[in-house]
Amino acid sequence: MKKNKGLIIGFSLPIVITLCVMYIYPVMRTLLMSFFQIESVTGDTSTWTFCGLGNYANVFASAGFKAAMWNMFKIWLVGGILTLSLALLFAVILCSGIRFKKFFRAAIYLPNVVSAVALATMWIQYVYNNDYGMLNKMLEMVGLEGVKWLSSDMKFWAMLFAFVFGAVGYYMLIFISGIERIPVDLYEAATIDGANKIAQFTKITLPLLRGIIKTNITFWSVNTTTFFLWSKMFSPIDSEASTIVPVVYLYNQIFGSKGSYTRDAGAGAAVGILLALIILVVYFVVNKIIKDDELEF
Amino acid sequence: MAKEKVIKERINWRKEMSLLPGYLIVIVWILFSVAFVSWIIAASLSTSREIFSGNVFKFETGFHIENYVNAWQAQNVSKFFANSLMYAIIGCFGILVISAPGAYVLSRFEFIGNKIMKSGLVVAMSVPAIMIIMPIFALTTKWGIGGRMVLILLYIFLNVPYTTVYLLNFFATLSTAYEEAAAIDGCPPAKTFLQIMLPLIQPAIITVTIFNFLAIWNEFFMALIFASSEDMAPVGVGLMQIVNSMKYTGNYGGLFAAVVIVFLPTFLLYIFLSEKIIAGVTGGVKG
Repeated sequence: MKKNKGLIIGFSLPIVITLCVMYIYPVMRTLLMSFFQIESVTGDTSTWTFCGLGNYANVFASAGFKAAMWNMFKIWLVGGILTLSLALLFAVILCSGIRFKKFFRAAIYLPNVVSAVALATMWIQYVYNNDYGMLNKMLEMVGLEGVKWLSSDMKFWAMLFAFVFGAVGYYMLIFISGIERIPVDLYEAATIDGANKIAQFTKITLPLLRGIIKTNITFWSVNTTTFFLWSKMFSPIDSEASTIVPVVYLYNQIFGSKGSYTRDAGAGAAVGILLALIILVVYFVVNKIIKDDELEF
Repeated sequence: MAKEKVIKERINWRKEMSLLPGYLIVIVWILFSVAFVSWIIAASLSTSREIFSGNVFKFETGFHIENYVNAWQAQNVSKFFANSLMYAIIGCFGILVISAPGAYVLSRFEFIGNKIMKSGLVVAMSVPAIMIIMPIFALTTKWGIGGRMVLILLYIFLNVPYTTVYLLNFFATLSTAYEEAAAIDGCPPAKTFLQIMLPLIQPAIITVTIFNFLAIWNEFFMALIFASSEDMAPVGVGLMQIVNSMKYTGNYGGLFAAVVIVFLPTFLLYIFLSEKIIAGVTGGVKG
């Protein structure tokens, strides 16, 4: 033990430094910043003025933040229901003894691997395009009029659907790993007793997937909280009320946005803290609501 | 579809029929993806006029490979590509330099602070980047450290917790007999780590490095903040800038060529490594 002292210190020191420099220090400072009035994020600490919960009050009163939170909630709820049910559907289909399972699984997961910027560009510039876009061409074929998918009242849903399309694969993989852990004899016994596929799904698969569903809801919530890229891609230059999300709001507060050069790093920090709190609450609530009774099977 | 039916009829037709709705749903989804990607590739080889008239699959004026040349050179994609490659390679290497030895001592030795460090790493994994970038931005601006350097350091440090935890679980599965034998033969512990233990966890190192590579290649938020200038931008940020300047250039063929170039590296990586990647995604998830 003693002669390994040098090794232990030498090998673990970089980890300690990482945790202190990249996590403890920034998180503490962000927390501190959220209680001060700070104009520029690069401003010296001497220019900070303490304002208590003032930043939080300002943020909650701002229309932009309210719009951002409402959009985030819609993404979480509507997008979450869509993504997780599609993911579960695909997982059940792929585990039902279908052929080419590996190929299908890989193809559905694919969007998670490629650059999301490229993916978003494909959706915006091709699928949703007015003149030559895939959706409008399809509508034309069945004799319907094209829709302006990227107009401000459709944009949010266009963005959400494109995002869901990419996200499904990841949650599907997690569902599959859960379904594969359920012993086959349970299904065999159920079949012998005359239970049909739907009964098997609701009586066996769903209850035994409780832990996995919990994991997926947690991941989805964290994912929605840090939603940024798709919003930025759908409104790249000015952030519109229809697609703004909290992280974009935070970004604009710190780095300014087109047409608005007022910066408020304190408010940005407050938004960051609020989002981190949301994530904490999600962990806590999901763990409370869905009890993981450590099923043995 | 047709081909499948032939196979189906030969093998347990009845069972396959009951699975038909499942096949249909999955195939519709995948056909959509295929149509989507093939149109993009066709468009990247067409002129803007062909794209607007909706004739990308006819190639009436031939294949416009020059779109790629144009995107690569005139639109700076080569620069973005080189930047991304640099960030990803240095990043992946740096992560391993910190994580592998750290994971080794954390899994092998009992010492004061071991437990705290392990839980610290797990907590750190769930800290969102938005909580971290503001102070780092302030600090590095004050010190005048360039964007490239900061971005690489962020990529390294922010991937250390996940990588260390991943490797830690792998080291824990190895028998201590290796080190005991090496110690009896008089091998110093650091050498044992480098020459015996590291090669043993090679599969885990490869998997985690693929993930780190994908994560860095596709990272957007921090790149936008720290490296949005043209010389430093990685592919994601660069592509966004190309899209934003489309209004002025109107070169749609070039835009889609740029999209394909950005899309391709991770796509090819995925074609060869999909099994490993998929196994890795679910490997770390506890039900």
